[in-house]
Amino acid sequence: MKKGLTLLLIFVVVFLGFSPVTAEAEQEVTITVWCWDPSFNIYAMEEAAKIYAEIAPHVTIDVIEESDVEIKLTTMVNAGQTDALPDILLMQDNSLHKNIISYPDTFFDLTDSGIDFAQFADYKVALSVVNGRNYAVPFDNGTAINAIRTDVLQQAGYTLADFTDITWSEYLKIGKDVLDKTGKPLLSAIAESPGLLMTMLQSAGTWMFDPNGEVYIAENAVLKEIVEVYIELVKSGVLVQVNEWDQYISSFNRGTVAGTINGCWIIGSIVQQTDQKGKWGITNIPKLDRAPNATNYSNQGGSSWMVLASSAHPEVATDFLAHTFAGSVKLYETILPSSGALATYLPAGDSAVYNQPHEFFGGQAIYADITAFAAKVPQVSYGLYNYEARDALGNAITQIMAGADIDAALREAEESVKFLMW
Amino acid sequence: MLKVLKLKRKQNIIGWGFILPATILIFIFYFYPIIRALLISFQSGVGINLSYAGLINYRRLFVDSLFKGSLSNVFIFLILQVPLMLFLALIIASLLNDHKLKFRGFFRIAIFLPCATSLVAYALIFRSIFALDGFANILLMNLNLISSPINWIGQPWTARILIVLALTWRWTGYNMIFYLAGLQNINPTIYEAAKIDGANAWTRFTKITIPLLKPIILLTTIMSTNGTLQIFDETQILTNGGPANATLSLSQYIYRLSFEYSPRFGYAAAISYVIFLLVAILAFIQMKVGDRR
Repeated sequence: MKKGLTLLLIFVVVFLGFSPVTAEAEQEVTITVWCWDPSFNIYAMEEAAKIYAEIAPHVTIDVIEESDVEIKLTTMVNAGQTDALPDILLMQDNSLHKNIISYPDTFFDLTDSGIDFAQFADYKVALSVVNGRNYAVPFDNGTAINAIRTDVLQQAGYTLADFTDITWSEYLKIGKDVLDKTGKPLLSAIAESPGLLMTMLQSAGTWMFDPNGEVYIAENAVLKEIVEVYIELVKSGVLVQVNEWDQYISSFNRGTVAGTINGCWIIGSIVQQTDQKGKWGITNIPKLDRAPNATNYSNQGGSSWMVLASSAHPEVATDFLAHTFAGSVKLYETILPSSGALATYLPAGDSAVYNQPHEFFGGQAIYADITAFAAKVPQVSYGLYNYEARDALGNAITQIMAGADIDAALREAEESVKFLMW
Repeated sequence: MLKVLKLKRKQNIIGWGFILPATILIFIFYFYPIIRALLISFQSGVGINLSYAGLINYRRLFVDSLFKGSLSNVFIFLILQVPLMLFLALIIASLLNDHKLKFRGFFRIAIFLPCATSLVAYALIFRSIFALDGFANILLMNLNLISSPINWIGQPWTARILIVLALTWRWTGYNMIFYLAGLQNINPTIYEAAKIDGANAWTRFTKITIPLLKPIILLTTIMSTNGTLQIFDETQILTNGGPANATLSLSQYIYRLSFEYSPRFGYAAAISYVIFLLVAILAFIQMKVGDRR
């Protein structure tokens, strides 16, 4: 009897020794998650928790709404209070590099975790890779779209096809014509924000930094072309500048402008205006005329899931992500229709749900289209000083629109970013 | 004798016992961070990769155009706003101090109420009032004072004026309360005597009210200077430091350095010490100038 017990114990120990994840499966584990937006990220995380509950019933996923994830993270890590951090958090893609580099050993290395990163859009995975190591599971899709009011186009004698695979000069030409015939500009943008310029930059596979991480603003011929396109858009009246986000949203909700170019998450704001149902269409964005690697695809915004190294159960947290956001087409099928949370998880694009027509967009299968765009978005590295560069470019465009010389303003922006990199 | 000493000691211990909790809390949550910030300001690096760097952060301030820009912005606010606000508060306080004025209580509350509103809420409301299609522009257009809407937050000087306006609206009532309290302490017979001697309202205001309120004017000046040097909410929400950093404040720059840009806590701490020094120096000058006994 005693012998049998010993044997059993040995067996248990050996068994446990060989599979550490199962070892933890014996006990109850709680994984805390920080993310923002109840109708989007939190909802998606809760659905993921439901799916994982069937796989590992002993794991509880505790989703906490936290709108200032990054500020809390910064404060806690700097204060050395890592025990108060969650196991998983959501991070803006723009900040990934900055935080991975600023806080070494804070994030759990996911490279050898068994998550197949090849299943995600390449450009998105690249944003969370530092020194060849993966630190985040890609989540919401920021693929750039050109959303246009098809009814306005019709009045002017155009269709969505006239805007597909075109260049900015063609866009301008049609835009002026649409403006003449209908009185409606095609675009609106926030005056201080360089968002559209950054979308254009990535569409040509370039950024405000070169691949070595050096500032690439003043000498960047592509950026100069972009600024010229932007000035032309504003001068011709095809793009109207607004002062803030609410005005930007209401410009297309009220129908003052006939379209918008942004990350595909902007769909959430477009569909709010239910009386415009069936009057919208989505296509790819215009490409630059002169830039050598110009494409019709880009990205704006988006976020990814990170596991913290300070977690008591990083393997469980990783396993959870591997079985849900990085492995469950079912999850994406559930969250897509109700929240519009679009994946960069490419296998989800083949799902029937993704191929369903969207009534608001006149029956177009927009999700399948956007997932197809996502696969073609050029890769860039946002780098450690992305926000510094964004602000500098925003100031430059403000000055340029007020009449400053393009080269001088870009030179000044480059100098100011260089100064902040020390 | 011995008994008295014992009693005194006992009283002392009780006294210390009362002060101790507050003292400990002030030390932990005020003085400790102040000292830590000083130590951090001698360190340099991104995020937690900090190392001792001596005076590098302080030396960097002299060549930092963003720092110099935000410093001058803050001084523009200070020079425009503090005198305007305090003068208004003084005048309103003297008007409300008139016992013959009807509805004094109503006016007092109406003027004080803005400073009971949330900083964020009022900044948001100001932003919508001064939007391109906001109330201010519509009003000015209908009065035929302007022909096309003013892009308030889109131009450097209108944006700065907007901040000054907002600050004045928010804080005038707050300072007025101090003056009202001060005015209560001025003997009405002095005014009566001056009236009999033929002094008009302006003379009474400049020769009696202002000199007798001097200690309170000094207090409000120091408080307002301190507050304006640390301005954050208004510039963050109303203008977000724009256009092109024309309204960026020092506190906002500190915030960006710590939480938006690649985190540089050492440098941010150095800037916070500059604010500390500025407040100290300005308060010292104001006390020297204002307190000539």
